[in-house]
Amino acid sequence: MLEVQGLSLHYDRHVALDNVSLKVGKGETVVILGANGAGKSSLLKGIAGLVRPAAGSRIRFNGIPIETASPHHVLETGIALIPEGRGVFGDLTVSENLALGAYARRARDERETSFELVFGLFPRLAERRRQFVNTMSGGEQQMVAIGRALMSRPELLMLDEPSLGLAPVVVHELFRSLDLVRQSGLSLLIVEQNVRLSLEIADRGYLADAGRITGQGTASVLLDDPAVKRAFLGAAV
Amino acid sequence: MLVTAILSGLVLGGTYALLAMGLTLQYGIARIMNLAYGELIIVAAFLAYTLFATLGLSPVWTLFIAIPAGFALGWGIYGVLMQPLVRRARTPAGLEIDSILATFGLLFVIQGLLLVSFGANFTSYSYLNVAVDVFGTKLAANRLIALALAVVLGGAIYFALTRTLWGTALRAVSVSPVSASLVGIDVDRAARTAFALGGALAAAGGVVISMYQTFTATSGVVFTMKALIIVIMGGVGNILGALSAGLVLGLAETLVATYVDPGLTLATTYGLFIAILLWRPTGLFGRAAR
Ligand SMILES: Nc1ncnc2c1ncn2[C@@H]1O[C@H](COP(=O)(O)OP(=O)(O)OP(=O)(O)O)[C@@H](O)[C@H]1O
Ligand SMILES: [Mg+2]
Repeated sequence: MLEVQGLSLHYDRHVALDNVSLKVGKGETVVILGANGAGKSSLLKGIAGLVRPAAGSRIRFNGIPIETASPHHVLETGIALIPEGRGVFGDLTVSENLALGAYARRARDERETSFELVFGLFPRLAERRRQFVNTMSGGEQQMVAIGRALMSRPELLMLDEPSLGLAPVVVHELFRSLDLVRQSGLSLLIVEQNVRLSLEIADRGYLADAGRITGQGTASVLLDDPAVKRAFLGAAV
Repeated sequence: MLVTAILSGLVLGGTYALLAMGLTLQYGIARIMNLAYGELIIVAAFLAYTLFATLGLSPVWTLFIAIPAGFALGWGIYGVLMQPLVRRARTPAGLEIDSILATFGLLFVIQGLLLVSFGANFTSYSYLNVAVDVFGTKLAANRLIALALAVVLGGAIYFALTRTLWGTALRAVSVSPVSASLVGIDVDRAARTAFALGGALAAAGGVVISMYQTFTATSGVVFTMKALIIVIMGGVGNILGALSAGLVLGLAETLVATYVDPGLTLATTYGLFIAILLWRPTGLFGRAAR
């Protein structure tokens, strides 16, 4: 479904991604693991159209080339990104945020069903409809971010470090919700620091380092991989 | 006298609110500091004057020409002058500086054209300059109509921006352009629309002003300054802030002119401006998108 081939990305002269290739299949959940500065966010931004990839990069979604598409065009093809820091509209209310989620043409007709779906997944958002998002807790804001992304009726949902800054209990709750989203048939591409939890809901994973993909495997293999254990899970495990 | 002063203050404040809403759309959503904003106001004022003087056309009818024309002009100026700047800008601050320089130039071009066409004289025309009875005091009918227009136009744009998905999308761009693009909003188009809407509001404001004030080819700068002050007092990009700060300023100026000294109106403007910013540095309502 998503095919990235030879994706390179520079900020001026700084090379953030160098010839990266990866795939996400329909209904598949894929995790990208890597140290700070490995280029994980740049990868998601490149796919989402926020940063223009270098010439020669190829990104296809359901066969449609999107490497030069603007963010709003990428969204219309069915890819939603929840960026690092969530990207919610803090000065707007919960319902305004969710309504904007369904701004995309592909989502407008299904707006009402989408609202029900999101409120079914996060009943707390239904109670807080009129609350301004910047007055909510981190976990609640993450619900708004996921809810808003789901409102656009994506086929692929990309999340950049969704657990960042959340308390452990809240992180568990978050991954339970993501698991439900996954079971509904969506594909997920997740960048996460919480390696264990993310690999537990994932099918496959990629290892990224210094702008390159250095390894890949199924989630269960990666969980037992000594190199992954050393780098991310603590050697004592 | 108090009722008269308050009514006149509301007329002036309503006009200010209209002008400030336009500028806050341009500055808050399109992120363009338009120094030629006041010139657009004056162009519309001269349009109303010319149509009234030559064809006897009521300024209320002129609005139906001026508003679409202001929108089209804003749309065009954005496409020709601003889009290249937006494309090459790397940061919002960079765009702000570039747009200040570009619109500073535009200011003199428009002002020059106005001076050539109309000269530097004070201009006014007498439209419905008859006193009517309101709450036991007399007020010129043209001011009353100006107030009604400001309420209707300001209310309509406020409603559109806060109660429709289209308007919510525009406000979302002012909160965060990146996040807006991630929900599928074409940010460039939204910015252009906001800039054009600002042009429409400036034109409407110009026509309304011409109904009850004298103006010259060079008074645009004053209106730009006033609108900018109101925008900052209300909180940049904040529609409700522009509305309320506009009304407050109009009332304050009129009350001071009536009860203290007309020479102190500018001092009032800046005094209020400084006081509000000392009290709330991000404006009455903060840099929000209400
Ligand atoms: N806007 C930018 N301008 C210049 N360099 C950038 C920019 N954004 C990222 N970089 C650089 O590109 C490299 C990859 O950054 P990126 O944010 O993609 O890494 P990351 O894997 O997401 O890191 P983290 O785990 O810290 O979020 C880093 O060296 C970073 O400094
Ligand atoms: Mg990152």
